[in-house]
Amino acid sequence: MKLLIIEDELSLKQSMVDFLTSAGYLCESVATHSDALEKIELYDYDCIILDLMLPDGSGLNLLKNLKQNHKSDGIIIISAKGELDDKILGIEMGADDYLAKPFHLSELAVRVASIIRRKSFNGQSLMNIGTIQIDTQGKEVTVNSKAVDLTQKEYQLLLYLAINKNRILSKNAIAQHMWGDDMDFADNFDFIYSHIKNLRKKLLAAGSDDCIRSIYGEGYKMQI
Amino acid sequence: MKLFTKYNRINISATIFIFLVGSVAFYFVLDYVLIRQLDETLRSEKEEISEYIRLHNQLPDIQNTKEQWITVVKASNSIPKPTTRTIYQFNTRDSENEPIRQLIFSITASNQTYEITVNKSEGETEDLLKLIILTTVGMIAMILLFNYLINRKLITQIWKPFYNTIDNIKDYAANQQSLSLSKEPIDEINLLNESLNSMTERIHKDYFALRSFTENASHEMQTPLAVIRSKVESLYQFAEGKENMMQQLLAIEDASLKLSKLHQSLLLLTKLENRQFVLNEPVNLKTILLHKIEERRDLFSAKNIQVSVAATDFEMYFHQHLAEILISNLLNNAFRYTAPEGKISIILNPETLSVSNSAIHDSLDTNKIFQRFYRASESDTGTGLGLSIIKEICTASGFSIHYQYEKAQHHFIILFQA
Repeated sequence: MKLLIIEDELSLKQSMVDFLTSAGYLCESVATHSDALEKIELYDYDCIILDLMLPDGSGLNLLKNLKQNHKSDGIIIISAKGELDDKILGIEMGADDYLAKPFHLSELAVRVASIIRRKSFNGQSLMNIGTIQIDTQGKEVTVNSKAVDLTQKEYQLLLYLAINKNRILSKNAIAQHMWGDDMDFADNFDFIYSHIKNLRKKLLAAGSDDCIRSIYGEGYKMQI
Repeated sequence: MKLFTKYNRINISATIFIFLVGSVAFYFVLDYVLIRQLDETLRSEKEEISEYIRLHNQLPDIQNTKEQWITVVKASNSIPKPTTRTIYQFNTRDSENEPIRQLIFSITASNQTYEITVNKSEGETEDLLKLIILTTVGMIAMILLFNYLINRKLITQIWKPFYNTIDNIKDYAANQQSLSLSKEPIDEINLLNESLNSMTERIHKDYFALRSFTENASHEMQTPLAVIRSKVESLYQFAEGKENMMQQLLAIEDASLKLSKLHQSLLLLTKLENRQFVLNEPVNLKTILLHKIEERRDLFSAKNIQVSVAATDFEMYFHQHLAEILISNLLNNAFRYTAPEGKISIILNPETLSVSNSAIHDSLDTNKIFQRFYRASESDTGTGLGLSIIKEICTASGFSIHYQYEKAQHHFIILFQA
């Protein structure tokens, strides 16, 4: 899976490259409009992560260019302009997703995975994490071919943990992924704990390994 | 008061005053002149009598008329100087008191002193005076009327461009194009228009400068925050087995989340104050409300909070995104300040949206509650901007918001028709 990261803030670009590389993607990165143009004309990517404000041009031009050349690369816009209008414009111009800065890298990983899943139709809908198998098309989870009945929230949580497997995810990141960022949690994260507890119980009952670990109650990790 | 009314009031009262004083003075002057003329006639009569006596040394044969008559009385001693006076005598013919002018003098004829009174009715003079005064008053009335009509016509015409300008600036909003008021033949109005044109152009420029500043500020601020957050996330991976480090990283993450939320809120407030939202989308508040409550179901049940909703289905012209923010903020606020096991009740109908929740604290300070960064207590960890945002959305949309504290419950009531 090949990704192109277009971002002019170098340390943020490096963080994304490190994170997504460790998640198993092949990452290339550029910091300017002209470099990006060169890359997208020469190569095809499974997903492009596109910052809108570049020092030598707008990311929207790159988006236009991609669409004019009928490229099928998936595109996620990441922008500091969290304006709703920009978001609508980006989606209308053919971007697949929009993520406002600042975001959690684990959230970016989920969005990238989801776009790649949507773009490729050749049996990519099955994910194997240890003994757990997730069918992302039918939203079904099986452990050793035995179906596990999960609620929508539990499924969402499992997918998030699975995509970011072997990483510690803070309760902030989990809460924002599950409930969005316009919500005020008022420093009360008990509900995450109860979802994790239920998910874990169901997976264990189905015969899976105990792979979800709590990190001092401040974060969680799916260890495979 | 309208310009024309004000102008007329001063103009007409001054004119009336001047004409009144003028008329009184005119009356007295005219009266004086006419009486003098009358006295002249009487004196010439006296001269005639004197002349006759000088020639014939006897009294003339006196012909009396209705208008003028002479009475002769024998007197013992003579009056040193002839005197004139006005007396009033009852006239049987007109049955009224008639003013009569008299000239009294003494004369000696055939060694006898006579006192002669020459009488002349002032009736004619009075009639003349009356006629003249009547004509004058009529003229004054005409002048006043025409003055009023001409002024009205002239003022409305001359001031028309001024009223046009007023109409134009009345509906001016900072986010619209600068005004381009036309050139007028009157210098003062032309100057006004030019000043307004350049002023609105400046406002327009400032407005856009401010707008792009807030947008750029947003970019400049969110990018470093994104860096902090991504680095913290990378560091989490080294925190296994180090509880202290995990907690510290979480504190950094919390702070960066709060900072970006704070910044987004301030940005939103600025945009609301700039009236950057157009409220013309049909919005169903009930749908949004139920959706937002559903999103928070886990949060509510974690605190064992009961939520009851009585909502009617209706559409109103509003802004979808603002409606979502409004309802989210109301719910966030209610959630944050409801004690565990508490209750939240929401009523929504075409007139009002009210959110009530059981209170943790006592009544909030009604004067400060919608102020930015107001917090009910020291331990409050919210941004302190939620209620300001609600208030600003209401202001921008023409709603009114009220807070009440009753039976240990906070009530936030929004009236859609303010």
